[in-house]
Amino acid sequence: MRNTILLFALLCPLWLMAANPGFGDRRYSVTFLGEYSYNKTWGHHGNFDLQALMPINQHFEMEAKFQFSTANVYTGAVQLRPKFQLPVGELFVETDIMYRAVVRNQLGDMTAALGVGYRMDYVSVTLGVFSRILDDYQRSWHSNENYVVEPFNLLYRLEVFCRPQNNPWNLSFMFSNVDDYQMERMWQPLFSIGAWYDINEHWRLNFAAQCKPTGMFHLDATFYGATGRVGFTYKF
Amino acid sequence: MTKKILYIALSALVFMACANEDSTLDMKGMFSPNGETVQVRFAQSMAYNDTVGEIHLDMHADDYVIYVCTDSHITRKSHKLLDYFIDQYNAASTPKLALHLGDHIDGQKNYPCVDSILNLANDHLFNALGNHDIYFKQWPIYRSYFHTSAYWFDTNNGNKKLDLFICLDSAEGSLGVDQTNWLKKLLEAKSQEGYRRIIVFTHTHLWKLDGSQGHTSNMALEETYELTSLLAQYNVEFVWCGHQHARQSVIFKGVNYLVLDSSKDSEEGQAYITVEMGENCFYHYHNYPKL
Repeated sequence: MRNTILLFALLCPLWLMAANPGFGDRRYSVTFLGEYSYNKTWGHHGNFDLQALMPINQHFEMEAKFQFSTANVYTGAVQLRPKFQLPVGELFVETDIMYRAVVRNQLGDMTAALGVGYRMDYVSVTLGVFSRILDDYQRSWHSNENYVVEPFNLLYRLEVFCRPQNNPWNLSFMFSNVDDYQMERMWQPLFSIGAWYDINEHWRLNFAAQCKPTGMFHLDATFYGATGRVGFTYKF
Repeated sequence: MTKKILYIALSALVFMACANEDSTLDMKGMFSPNGETVQVRFAQSMAYNDTVGEIHLDMHADDYVIYVCTDSHITRKSHKLLDYFIDQYNAASTPKLALHLGDHIDGQKNYPCVDSILNLANDHLFNALGNHDIYFKQWPIYRSYFHTSAYWFDTNNGNKKLDLFICLDSAEGSLGVDQTNWLKKLLEAKSQEGYRRIIVFTHTHLWKLDGSQGHTSNMALEETYELTSLLAQYNVEFVWCGHQHARQSVIFKGVNYLVLDSSKDSEEGQAYITVEMGENCFYHYHNYPKL
């Protein structure tokens, strides 16, 4: 009986939320992306990205993302995104767990983020926090010398779109310290340009480019890396 | 009218921040490349290093003491803590050397002042380059006084090798391609030479452990991964840094990362450290008195 009540208490809010339609019309989709990337540490390298979007209902969507890099770095991320429609735009909560297996350096970088966002046709803003654990593969369970915890980091993302969200094409500009496969420290911004074009009802063409400087905010700023990304999304 | 006043006030603030020689921040340098990049500085440093040759310090003992301070941010009017540090260093009777981990000055036109203070050190003193040291395009001036931003030296007792010290230029939050390759080759070669310990000192810290970091940025994540693994691979024992003006200690992969307090006059509760180098290694914080 107690378990039934608990189950009902857990499921009831989901059912209530599912009763209302959400912002936008996102469908189950799979995205394949190829990337060329350069940074001063890893040099020139290529990445292959695989992403799956699962809109569970109008108020919950889930995303899984994987990246395989020729720099011998492998990243997986899962996002659960509750969202609530407002008279204008949509409020969403961003929960994100990301693990980056930096095999080349024999360490793992795990981050967990919680943020609140607001999305309208032409702008999307997210603000939140995240924590990081860097963990050496040569782990000794009797020592705390093989991992480093960075407990508090600010997460921010401001994205401006040229067209409404449901337009068949769009162009966006983003200022953020996080993207699909990295969560940088708060003083390490990323500058991105994104674009998409809907070829037909099912296929979408995606483009993105990103510039990563280093030393901004109280060091001497300079160019550090850049990424170009192109790929397709199939919407079911 | 209100908009115009606001615009003028804002412009004046930005102009003051950029142009006033006593201002501490180079707003332009914080947001875009300002003067020589680390690639250029590193090339110039290597050229200088080649002209002077290798530096081997004979300490005439196995045990000696290192005095380390950072972030003195001196101006012509404000340099009491750095004076005190040099006095303490000069007063020590043991074999010794000193390190300054960067951000020697604030603003502009303060190099003659810091040089006159550091020249009072009556023994070996080595410097790392900080971001404030090159704000307002001051790398050529830093270079004219301190010559190099990336170098190594070692300590000996007669023919007996003791410790290896490597200074890195991290003022941009990146070592750059050439300096990283140089560091790899240097560690690979020197780790075979039987040094007692290897110590790296630089300005920028690698971790963001708590709020004490304030608004000071680190290196990019990729560089953090690579550098920490490289230092661990070659058994570097200590990395000494400054930049965040608050002490911090963390051990990762067997490397002890130590961030020092500042030596800036206007800040309270600041400290320098002394490190007893011997068979074992101990470091001690020394709070500056109120001066």
